Amino acid sequence: QVSVLYFARSAELAGLRSETLSVPRQITALQLWEEIVKVHPRLAVIRDQVVFAVRQEYVLLGDQLLVLQPGDEVAIIPPISGG
Amino acid sequence: MDESEDVPKDFIKLKSEKLSVDEVSELVISPCCGAVSLFIGEFNISELDLWMWKKVVHLEYEAYMSMAETEIKKICRDVRQKWPSVRHIAVHHRLGVVPITEASVIIAVSSPRRAESLEAVMYCINTLKASVPIWKKEIYEDEYSWKENKECFWANSGK
Repeated sequence: QVSVLYFARSAELAGLRSETLSVPRQITALQLWEEIVKVHPRLAVIRDQVVFAVRQEYVLLGDQLLVLQPGDEVAIIPPISGG
Repeated sequence: MDESEDVPKDFIKLKSEKLSVDEVSELVISPCCGAVSLFIGEFNISELDLWMWKKVVHLEYEAYMSMAETEIKKICRDVRQKWPSVRHIAVHHRLGVVPITEASVIIAVSSPRRAESLEAVMYCINTLKASVPIWKKEIYEDEYSWKENKECFWANSGK
Protein backbone atom coordinates (compact mmCIF):
# COMPACT_ATOMS: atom_id res chain seq x y z
CA GLN A 1 0.00 0.00 0.00
CA VAL A 2 1.44 3.33 -1.08
CA SER A 3 0.46 6.93 -0.42
CA VAL A 4 -0.42 8.70 -3.67
CA LEU A 5 -0.25 12.51 -3.63
CA TYR A 6 -1.90 14.70 -6.25
CA PHE A 7 -0.82 18.25 -7.08
CA ALA A 8 -2.02 21.15 -9.20
CA ARG A 9 -3.99 20.03 -12.23
CA SER A 10 -3.74 16.36 -11.30
CA ALA A 11 -5.45 17.11 -7.97
CA GLU A 12 -8.26 18.85 -9.82
CA LEU A 13 -8.72 15.97 -12.25
CA ALA A 14 -8.57 13.30 -9.57
CA GLY A 15 -10.76 15.32 -7.22
CA LEU A 16 -8.53 14.73 -4.22
CA ARG A 17 -5.09 15.51 -2.82
CA SER A 18 -4.05 12.16 -1.44
CA GLU A 19 -5.11 8.58 -0.95
CA THR A 20 -3.78 5.13 -0.20
CA LEU A 21 -3.62 2.65 -3.07
CA SER A 22 -2.72 -1.02 -3.15
CA VAL A 23 -0.21 -1.79 -5.86
CA PRO A 24 2.27 -4.61 -6.56
CA ARG A 25 5.57 -4.26 -4.70
CA GLN A 26 7.45 -4.34 -8.03
CA ILE A 27 5.90 -2.41 -10.89
CA THR A 28 7.10 -0.24 -13.74
CA ALA A 29 6.39 3.49 -13.62
CA LEU A 30 4.09 3.18 -16.60
CA GLN A 31 2.16 0.32 -15.01
CA LEU A 32 1.78 2.35 -11.84
CA TRP A 33 0.35 5.20 -13.89
CA GLU A 34 -2.13 2.84 -15.49
CA GLU A 35 -3.23 1.59 -12.07
CA ILE A 36 -3.86 5.15 -10.97
CA VAL A 37 -5.77 6.02 -14.15
CA LYS A 38 -8.04 3.00 -13.56
CA VAL A 39 -9.12 4.70 -10.33
CA HIS A 40 -9.20 8.22 -11.80
CA PRO A 41 -9.84 8.03 -15.57
CA ARG A 42 -9.86 11.81 -15.94
CA LEU A 43 -6.12 11.80 -15.31
CA ALA A 44 -5.53 10.21 -18.71
CA VAL A 45 -5.47 13.61 -20.43
CA ILE A 46 -2.28 14.70 -18.64
CA ARG A 47 -0.30 11.51 -19.19
CA ASP A 48 2.21 13.18 -21.53
CA GLN A 49 2.90 16.03 -19.15
CA VAL A 50 3.47 14.42 -15.80
CA VAL A 51 6.24 12.63 -14.01
CA PHE A 52 6.22 10.77 -10.72
CA ALA A 53 8.14 11.53 -7.58
CA VAL A 54 8.74 8.23 -5.78
CA ARG A 55 10.19 8.69 -2.30
CA GLN A 56 10.84 12.28 -3.46
CA GLU A 57 12.93 11.31 -6.48
CA TYR A 58 11.67 12.15 -9.96
CA VAL A 59 10.75 9.17 -12.15
CA LEU A 60 9.64 9.46 -15.78
CA LEU A 61 6.58 7.47 -16.85
CA GLY A 62 8.43 4.62 -18.54
CA ASP A 63 9.83 1.15 -18.08
CA GLN A 64 11.83 1.87 -14.96
CA LEU A 65 11.10 -0.81 -12.40
CA LEU A 66 10.02 0.58 -9.06
CA VAL A 67 10.52 -1.39 -5.87
CA LEU A 68 7.90 -0.05 -3.50
CA GLN A 69 7.71 -0.41 0.29
CA PRO A 70 4.51 -0.10 2.30
CA GLY A 71 3.88 3.54 3.12
CA ASP A 72 6.06 4.90 0.29
CA GLU A 73 5.02 8.27 -1.07
CA VAL A 74 4.29 8.48 -4.79
CA ALA A 75 3.41 11.95 -6.09
CA ILE A 76 1.94 12.95 -9.45
CA ILE A 77 3.98 15.92 -10.64
CA PRO A 78 2.51 18.10 -13.42
CA PRO A 79 4.80 20.61 -15.15
CA ILE A 80 6.18 22.91 -12.48
CA SER A 81 5.98 26.67 -12.36
CA GLY A 82 7.84 27.84 -9.28
CA GLY A 83 9.92 30.99 -9.09
CA MET B 1 33.87 38.32 15.97
CA ASP B 2 33.46 34.61 16.70
CA GLU B 3 34.33 32.69 13.51
CA SER B 4 32.41 29.60 14.59
CA GLU B 5 29.16 31.57 14.49
CA ASP B 6 29.67 32.25 10.82
CA VAL B 7 29.54 28.71 9.41
CA PRO B 8 27.95 28.62 5.96
CA LYS B 9 24.20 28.33 6.28
CA ASP B 10 21.25 27.66 3.98
CA PHE B 11 18.08 29.56 4.86
CA ILE B 12 15.12 27.93 3.10
CA LYS B 13 11.56 29.01 3.71
CA LEU B 14 8.23 28.35 1.98
CA LYS B 15 5.67 30.67 3.51
CA SER B 16 2.30 32.25 2.86
CA GLU B 17 3.18 35.65 4.31
CA LYS B 18 4.57 38.51 2.25
CA LEU B 19 8.29 38.13 1.49
CA SER B 20 10.79 40.71 2.68
CA VAL B 21 13.88 41.74 0.74
CA ASP B 22 15.37 43.23 3.92
CA GLU B 23 14.83 40.03 5.86
CA VAL B 24 16.30 37.76 3.17
CA SER B 25 19.35 39.89 2.47
CA GLU B 26 20.09 40.32 6.18
CA LEU B 27 20.12 36.54 6.61
CA VAL B 28 23.14 36.16 4.34
CA ILE B 29 25.20 39.14 5.45
CA SER B 30 28.55 38.00 6.81
CA PRO B 31 31.76 39.73 7.88
CA CYS B 32 33.74 37.76 5.32
CA CYS B 33 31.61 38.72 2.43
CA GLY B 34 31.81 41.91 0.48
CA ALA B 35 29.19 40.76 -1.97
CA VAL B 36 25.51 39.97 -1.45
CA SER B 37 23.61 39.22 -4.64
CA LEU B 38 19.86 39.15 -4.76
CA PHE B 39 17.15 37.90 -7.12
CA ILE B 40 13.52 38.93 -6.71
CA GLY B 41 10.85 37.14 -8.75
CA GLU B 42 7.90 39.39 -9.53
CA PHE B 43 4.79 38.90 -11.60
CA ASN B 44 5.38 39.12 -15.33
CA ILE B 45 2.37 39.23 -17.59
CA SER B 46 2.78 36.69 -20.38
CA GLU B 47 2.38 37.45 -24.05
CA LEU B 48 -0.47 34.97 -24.21
CA ASP B 49 -2.31 36.76 -21.43
CA LEU B 50 -1.86 40.05 -23.25
CA TRP B 51 -2.99 38.63 -26.56
CA MET B 52 -6.02 36.97 -24.99
CA TRP B 53 -6.78 40.19 -23.14
CA LYS B 54 -6.75 38.28 -19.87
CA LYS B 55 -6.47 40.28 -16.70
CA VAL B 56 -4.69 38.40 -13.95
CA VAL B 57 -6.45 39.06 -10.64
CA HIS B 58 -3.92 37.24 -8.46
CA LEU B 59 -1.63 34.20 -8.35
CA GLU B 60 -1.88 31.05 -6.28
CA TYR B 61 1.13 28.90 -5.48
CA GLU B 62 1.11 25.36 -4.17
CA ALA B 63 4.03 23.09 -3.34
CA TYR B 64 4.96 19.51 -2.55
CA MET B 65 6.41 20.94 0.64
CA SER B 66 8.80 18.26 1.86
CA MET B 67 10.19 17.57 -1.61
CA ALA B 68 10.45 21.27 -2.48
CA GLU B 69 12.61 21.85 0.59
CA THR B 70 14.73 18.82 -0.27
CA GLU B 71 15.21 19.99 -3.85
CA ILE B 72 16.16 23.49 -2.71
CA LYS B 73 18.67 21.95 -0.27
CA LYS B 74 20.14 20.03 -3.24
CA ILE B 75 20.47 23.31 -5.13
CA CYS B 76 22.33 24.83 -2.18
CA ARG B 77 24.63 21.82 -2.01
CA ASP B 78 25.35 22.13 -5.75
CA VAL B 79 26.04 25.85 -5.37
CA ARG B 80 28.61 25.15 -2.66
CA GLN B 81 30.32 22.57 -4.87
CA LYS B 82 30.49 24.88 -7.86
CA TRP B 83 31.35 28.06 -5.94
CA PRO B 84 33.15 26.99 -2.75
CA SER B 85 33.65 30.56 -1.59
CA VAL B 86 29.89 31.13 -1.24
CA ARG B 87 29.03 31.72 2.41
CA HIS B 88 25.27 31.91 3.04
CA ILE B 89 22.33 31.12 0.77
CA ALA B 90 18.75 32.18 1.40
CA VAL B 91 15.78 31.04 -0.69
CA HIS B 92 12.33 32.25 0.32
CA HIS B 93 9.32 31.26 -1.81
CA ARG B 94 5.78 32.40 -1.26
CA LEU B 95 2.86 29.99 -1.19
CA GLY B 96 -0.90 30.47 -1.37
CA VAL B 97 -2.55 33.60 -2.71
CA VAL B 98 -0.09 36.23 -3.97
CA PRO B 99 -1.14 39.65 -5.29
CA ILE B 100 0.48 40.45 -8.62
CA THR B 101 2.29 43.39 -7.07
CA GLU B 102 4.19 41.21 -4.58
CA ALA B 103 7.26 39.02 -4.97
CA SER B 104 6.90 35.27 -5.31
CA VAL B 105 10.53 34.37 -4.65
CA ILE B 106 13.62 36.04 -3.19
CA ILE B 107 17.09 34.49 -3.38
CA ALA B 108 20.18 35.95 -1.71
CA VAL B 109 23.77 34.69 -1.74
CA SER B 110 26.85 36.08 -0.02
CA SER B 111 30.47 35.56 -1.02
CA PRO B 112 33.76 37.40 -0.60
CA ARG B 113 33.81 38.58 -4.23
CA ARG B 114 30.89 39.49 -6.45
CA ALA B 115 31.38 37.05 -9.36
CA GLU B 116 30.55 33.97 -7.29
CA SER B 117 27.45 35.34 -5.61
CA LEU B 118 26.07 36.71 -8.88
CA GLU B 119 26.61 33.40 -10.66
CA ALA B 120 25.27 31.40 -7.74
CA VAL B 121 22.05 33.43 -7.58
CA MET B 122 21.46 32.87 -11.29
CA TYR B 123 22.10 29.15 -10.90
CA CYS B 124 19.65 29.01 -7.97
CA ILE B 125 16.72 30.60 -9.77
CA ASN B 126 17.33 28.72 -13.03
CA THR B 127 17.51 25.37 -11.26
CA LEU B 128 14.55 26.17 -9.01
CA LYS B 129 12.43 26.81 -12.07
CA ALA B 130 13.55 23.52 -13.61
CA SER B 131 13.30 21.16 -10.67
CA VAL B 132 11.52 22.36 -7.52
CA PRO B 133 7.94 21.01 -7.20
CA ILE B 134 6.05 24.29 -6.87
CA TRP B 135 3.08 25.25 -9.10
CA LYS B 136 1.62 28.61 -10.01
CA LYS B 137 -1.99 29.20 -10.97
CA GLU B 138 -3.02 32.48 -12.57
CA ILE B 139 -6.50 33.54 -11.51
CA TYR B 140 -8.41 35.65 -14.02
CA GLU B 141 -11.77 37.30 -13.52
CA ASP B 142 -13.79 34.31 -14.70
CA GLU B 143 -11.37 31.37 -14.92
CA TYR B 144 -7.83 30.24 -14.09
CA SER B 145 -4.81 28.61 -15.69
CA TRP B 146 -1.94 26.45 -14.37
CA LYS B 147 1.35 27.81 -15.69
CA GLU B 148 4.31 25.72 -16.88
CA ASN B 149 7.96 26.78 -16.77
CA LYS B 150 9.82 26.30 -20.03
CA GLU B 151 12.73 25.19 -17.80
CA CYS B 152 10.67 22.22 -16.54
CA PHE B 153 12.81 19.32 -17.65
CA TRP B 154 9.99 16.95 -18.56
CA ALA B 155 7.31 19.23 -20.01
CA ASN B 156 6.82 19.73 -23.72
CA SER B 157 5.68 23.31 -23.73
CA GLY B 158 4.92 24.63 -27.16
CA LYS B 159 3.50 21.25 -28.18
